Amino acid sequence: MSLRKLLSSTTSADRILFLLLLLLSFSGILFVREVLPGGRTVQIEVNGRPAYVLPLDKDRALTVEGPLGKTLIEIKDRRVRVTESPCHNKLCIQQGWVRSGTIICLPNRVVITVGDHDKSTTVDATTG
Amino acid sequence: MDTIVTITAVSTARDSAEKAIDNAFSEIRKLEQLSNFFSPDSEISKINRNAGISEVKVSPDIIALLEKALYVSEKTAGAFDVTIGPVERLYDFHRRIKPQEDEIRKNLPLVNYKNLIIDRNRSTVFLQKKGMLIDPGGITKGYAADRAADVLREQGIKSGIVAVAGEIRTFGLKPDGKPWKIGIKNPRAKDQEDDIMATIELSDMAISTSGDYERFFIADGKRYHHLLDPRTGHSAGGCKCVSIIAKKGVFTDSFATGIFVLGPEKGMKVLEKLGFDGIIIDSQDEIHMTPKIRGKIEFKKTAEQYHFS
Repeated sequence: MSLRKLLSSTTSADRILFLLLLLLSFSGILFVREVLPGGRTVQIEVNGRPAYVLPLDKDRALTVEGPLGKTLIEIKDRRVRVTESPCHNKLCIQQGWVRSGTIICLPNRVVITVGDHDKSTTVDATTG
Repeated sequence: MDTIVTITAVSTARDSAEKAIDNAFSEIRKLEQLSNFFSPDSEISKINRNAGISEVKVSPDIIALLEKALYVSEKTAGAFDVTIGPVERLYDFHRRIKPQEDEIRKNLPLVNYKNLIIDRNRSTVFLQKKGMLIDPGGITKGYAADRAADVLREQGIKSGIVAVAGEIRTFGLKPDGKPWKIGIKNPRAKDQEDDIMATIELSDMAISTSGDYERFFIADGKRYHHLLDPRTGHSAGGCKCVSIIAKKGVFTDSFATGIFVLGPEKGMKVLEKLGFDGIIIDSQDEIHMTPKIRGKIEFKKTAEQYHFS
């Protein structure tokens, strides 16, 4: 049966159903991609010790206390940034939003890493 | 050392691991104080101030460091040279400053490792020409990683990693019995997603990378980066990045720079002679590897922009 014959043998109800199914499957893909957790985390270390492991896809702001004082961290739209820091050079703030990788504030000893849950893809160290 | 140092130690007791890590950090700090090019109190600055005047008594660490540096200079026919200081300081990659050609020409005769004289017995160092400057930045970090790893082992730590910036020294195996997994940076990463181009598993080995993307600026369509050829005073043009694998960080650090300057063809020959492993991405995006590395390295999708020669 050719495609044209097949189409002519369908009713408009069939076609609407077909379109609906198509729409449903695409929205399913979008739903999984946008709403379900992406499996990525924000790890925050203060003074060499792990302080928090947080999901990247839940917006929040939090404060950690380093040797110099309070560092304000914001997680939003699957990105993370430092909004306030007691350090003098403010390099951590200048770095802005980060989707993956690391923000390091050496003076206040705060290290923020965005990484995968999946340990097999992470490395123990990076050269270069 | 004006850089990020990460120390990982595997131990059954937290206290002993922390004590060992503290001692390893102290060792690195000590080396930093001895070797800092910019600090007037460092032994390196003392040697530099007395260039063409007199020899300077220094500690055994500086003797060992400079002896290794001279060895690497000889093996790379001067492509690595710690006496690069007079030319190196003409550039400022942060402020996008490059020197005039005549400034380079004037300072180039001061760059020559053969005029760096070490007297091991008397523990002295002498720079023969006035105006010579040692900048040990291309070898100190690797040396410090080795010394820190030694300290950890002396304190009973069986396995760990010391990473002084990109100079990585591994020893022993991870708690799960596997070797350490090291990522190699993509020299042309567009964002942080394609940051790593390959991974390699190492145990009791060191790895270092020199790349033209670390400190650089682009002017008139040309890339000016910190890996200067001591023979010309210009940024070396043959490679985008060079990673070297060997037992000691002091050699991976310095040879990564030296091989980068030599370029892919001569560089691969030197690696073969030394029995070191290495991977080079040349300026034409071709990947060169030593034979032994082929089975150990795992390329990521991000490496597709490069091709195998």
